[in-house]
Amino acid sequence: MVELTIDNQRVRVKKGTTILEAADKFNITIPTLCHHENLTPLGSCRLCTVEVIVNGISKLTTACTFPVEQGIEVRTTSQKALEARRLAAELLLAKCPTSAKIKSLAQEIGVAKPRIKVREEDCILCELCVRTCREIVGRQALKFINRGLNQRVEPRIDFSPDMCIGCGSCAYVCPTGAIKMEDKDGTRVVYARNWEKEFKLKKCKVCGNYWAPEEQLEYIRGKLNLPPDFFDVCPNCR
Amino acid sequence: METLGIYVPRLVTRRQSFAPGHRACSGCGEALAVMLVMKALGRNVIVVMSTGCMEIISSQLPYTSWEVPWIHTLFENSAIVASGIEAGMKALRRKGTSLPKTKVVAMGGDGATFDIGFGAISGAFERGHDFIYVCFDNEAYMNTGIQRSSATPFGASTTTQPAGKVSMGQSTWKKNMPAIAVAHDIPYVATASPSYPFDLMNKIKKAVAIEGPTYVHILSVCPTGWRIPTDMTIRLGRLAVETGVFPLYEVEDGKYTLNYDPPRLRPVEDYLKPQGRFRHLTPKMVKKIQQRVSAEYASLKEKAQ
Repeated sequence: MVELTIDNQRVRVKKGTTILEAADKFNITIPTLCHHENLTPLGSCRLCTVEVIVNGISKLTTACTFPVEQGIEVRTTSQKALEARRLAAELLLAKCPTSAKIKSLAQEIGVAKPRIKVREEDCILCELCVRTCREIVGRQALKFINRGLNQRVEPRIDFSPDMCIGCGSCAYVCPTGAIKMEDKDGTRVVYARNWEKEFKLKKCKVCGNYWAPEEQLEYIRGKLNLPPDFFDVCPNCR
Repeated sequence: METLGIYVPRLVTRRQSFAPGHRACSGCGEALAVMLVMKALGRNVIVVMSTGCMEIISSQLPYTSWEVPWIHTLFENSAIVASGIEAGMKALRRKGTSLPKTKVVAMGGDGATFDIGFGAISGAFERGHDFIYVCFDNEAYMNTGIQRSSATPFGASTTTQPAGKVSMGQSTWKKNMPAIAVAHDIPYVATASPSYPFDLMNKIKKAVAIEGPTYVHILSVCPTGWRIPTDMTIRLGRLAVETGVFPLYEVEDGKYTLNYDPPRLRPVEDYLKPQGRFRHLTPKMVKKIQQRVSAEYASLKEKAQ
């Protein structure tokens, strides 16, 4: 167990928990965007910035990636932390001004309008989709290309089409709606601004309803060594 | 509605304010629905709950399953208490107290919604309080021993209208509660089922974002009262939707949207056959039910266009 102070409150938490988890346990809310409890933390959105005082030296850090240490003091609402958060929110808002999620987050933090030039983009490079594809699905259909200012998320499906299985996890987890998914008449389209892939949906032999993309079923079947006709019938009719 | 395979569920939050270890029967569809609702609601909520199964099983002294402020009210007044809390918070804000953004959620079973608390809900909708009313509809008073309510469907055998030589089970049709809620001109009305968890959570999230009274009607399968094996809960919830007995739709400011519209409906027999409460039905009665279900579905589809 590690003892620390969060907002003048002395708390004891397990070793290895992050500041965000510790604060959440004691009902102290810190805004987050790129954090997901089932994925490894990354700290790319900087919205969870807090002020941490270690050995009398104050520094700013992201709460989602910082594991707690004995005797540290965390200030989640200090002037310094709030200012850093406001700047991060402003930059995000300037990048992606139409997203409802970012708008509401920025409003919560206290930013109404960015002072810099607005860029009409939809991806904010939070890497949630990339982490989901890698950690949850076990594929690497999405990855970052380039670094620095030219960094973009690109699907690897351009290079090896069998990497994406059309499960739709990336579209579900995307906070800004940059990746979208649509099911229509037996086909599923997963798409973003600069790429898209179409999938054929499997038709159930009994009820005739479309129920999952064929490539996803093939992937699961191969992984679990199931017989070839295992997915001919949907779970409802089985 | 998209079918979100087996990977997306792993992204759903594990945090919920409805703790496990409660006393619900095995296979309870209602406990599952409450769990999903609480996942979608998050933490900043005040829950008001009418007497019913959920209240009994989740708050046996000295234990409780609720990790949020939770108030148990009598059968009839969950909507009243919810409006009181909402009005109280409004008054405190007016006087300058800073309160976090909190949603008031009233929950009730079908007995509390369709019969006993009906007038109070109507009043709260009419006054326009900012709250969500969630109805967990298991189609009878299951908590006290399967007595009929006005949510019980035609032909179902209950302990107060048992099927036998004289009676053929419930002799009246189910009251259309979502339609009554729509008639109040409230901003959002939806029907949901725990067999379609993402649809249910989306609808609750939508209701949270809307200011004003909202109504979400959830069909919660009850293995004990419906006389089905406990492993049939999810399947029966799906069958209810696929046969058109319980269509999933939402009404936003009077505009209908059908969320799940299969190419063709299954015959209602698929839904009635596994259930012990419909065991006595004759083919003639099944035909009668089929006609009614088809007609209602067709009229709903017309509204949704």
